[in-house]
Amino acid sequence: MSAIATTLTIMRHAFRAGLSDYRSMYTWKSWLAGWFVRVLAQVSFFALIGERLGSDERTTFYLLVGNALAVAAVTGVFSLNATSAERWAGTLPLLVASPSSPVIVFGSRGSYLAVDGALSALSGLFVAGAIFGMELPWPRVLLVVPLTMLVAYSCYCFGTFLAGIVFRFRDINSFVVLTSYMTIMAVCGVNVPLTYYPEALEWISRFLPLTNGLLAIRGVFDGDAASAILGDAALEAAVAIGWMTAALLSFNRLASRGRRDGSLDYGA
Amino acid sequence: MYGYLAGLKLEARLIHAHPDSLIPLVTAPLFTIIFLAIVRESGRYDLQPDALMAPVLMSLWWVALQHGGNIITGDRWQNLLESIVAVPTSLASLLLGRVTTVMCLGLVSFFEVWAIGELLFGVSPAFEHPLELVLILVCTAFASAGASVAFAALFVMTRNAYTFTNSAGFPLYLLSGVFVPVAVLPGWIHPVSSVIFMSWSADLLRASMKSAAIDDFWLRLGVVVLLGAVSFLIGRLVLFYVLRRMRTTGELATA
Repeated sequence: MSAIATTLTIMRHAFRAGLSDYRSMYTWKSWLAGWFVRVLAQVSFFALIGERLGSDERTTFYLLVGNALAVAAVTGVFSLNATSAERWAGTLPLLVASPSSPVIVFGSRGSYLAVDGALSALSGLFVAGAIFGMELPWPRVLLVVPLTMLVAYSCYCFGTFLAGIVFRFRDINSFVVLTSYMTIMAVCGVNVPLTYYPEALEWISRFLPLTNGLLAIRGVFDGDAASAILGDAALEAAVAIGWMTAALLSFNRLASRGRRDGSLDYGA
Repeated sequence: MYGYLAGLKLEARLIHAHPDSLIPLVTAPLFTIIFLAIVRESGRYDLQPDALMAPVLMSLWWVALQHGGNIITGDRWQNLLESIVAVPTSLASLLLGRVTTVMCLGLVSFFEVWAIGELLFGVSPAFEHPLELVLILVCTAFASAGASVAFAALFVMTRNAYTFTNSAGFPLYLLSGVFVPVAVLPGWIHPVSSVIFMSWSADLLRASMKSAAIDDFWLRLGVVVLLGAVSFLIGRLVLFYVLRRMRTTGELATA
């Protein structure tokens, strides 16, 4: 079997294993009654803040769109929980000891999260949008679907990179998940325009997932020129590629270091 | 009392050993930045005290739900529950001790929020009614501890508490009116919110930031304590029956 075929087989098995994990957490009923209610509550929570501010509708819709897309970010960043899950299952050292690269497994096993993130964000956006009376410009609004998928994948790439970083420091896993997600919420233009913060922070945020994709999505709603939307989407795609490349470059080195110093233990 | 103190010390050691336990101390400042940025960007400087208090309430909810609520489930996963149940001290007193430590951690967020507000935005909580403010925070932490025990008891009955804890945060923030008062929400939500202690705490906390006298302060504070105590009693009752069933069926570690 060629190297590519082997890699594809590993990716397929890892994806199916991840999907099985997800099915053990959620059925479609518990997804709707649990996770989706949370998504809707999160988006509504911020949209209501917009209403409480008492300014024009644009503020409410700004917060609504930003926080719906932030759901895609949180789900994508959740992918770094994969390392902890392997540790709990006692399979982490086995993965590192196997001849294939752990990044292939981690990169594929959590990819269902990008799909889930896009689905959650889109359903949150459209349902909360309807509740708060947001206008959805047809057929332009269809562009939001691929753009949201791009954002979800970009956040997933970022999460995979972080998974490599926390590989040897699993005690801070949840810590890194929440800090990353909250930082994205704070500085990526989710709640206030990028110009609100100092220019240096604005620049940094352009290298984080969500920022550029969210600008593209806001552009769709605001009726911006196609070139501007495409430009922001291209930047989001570049950020995704950048983080996945960083994950590929750093993951094996960090895992090998753990193997050398014996820090990849079994269980908690 | 010995069990309570042992629980207190045990949880302090666990928090010290696991940095993940300190998550609310990281999220509270970040929520503070987000909320203050939103209200200031819109020119609503009058809402800054509310923007400061919301992360404190969210932290208390978070520790009650995620940390306190998962104490027994976590012990079960690590096969510690059998040993804990076998010791002569009562599980409820041990649990209450552990939850108390967790709540103290949650209250630290108040000082963090204060520091972040002051350092980054030059804003601090309006101490219009300092004594009332302290009483509200202490009673809210007490009620959160009660809710924590109820969550812990209920979660141990479920196969997958993660699904619930992961999903319940924002619905609870919304129903409790931690930032947007419940009065603004649709009328059909009001009865649900009125039995959630945090909705009373949130209204009281916001009122304590204003110069006007707080209406019916003692009555409303009493409701916070009462709802917290009811949660604790429900939790204790559920725990009693769950543990008895587990002992009878031998499912303590496996159910």
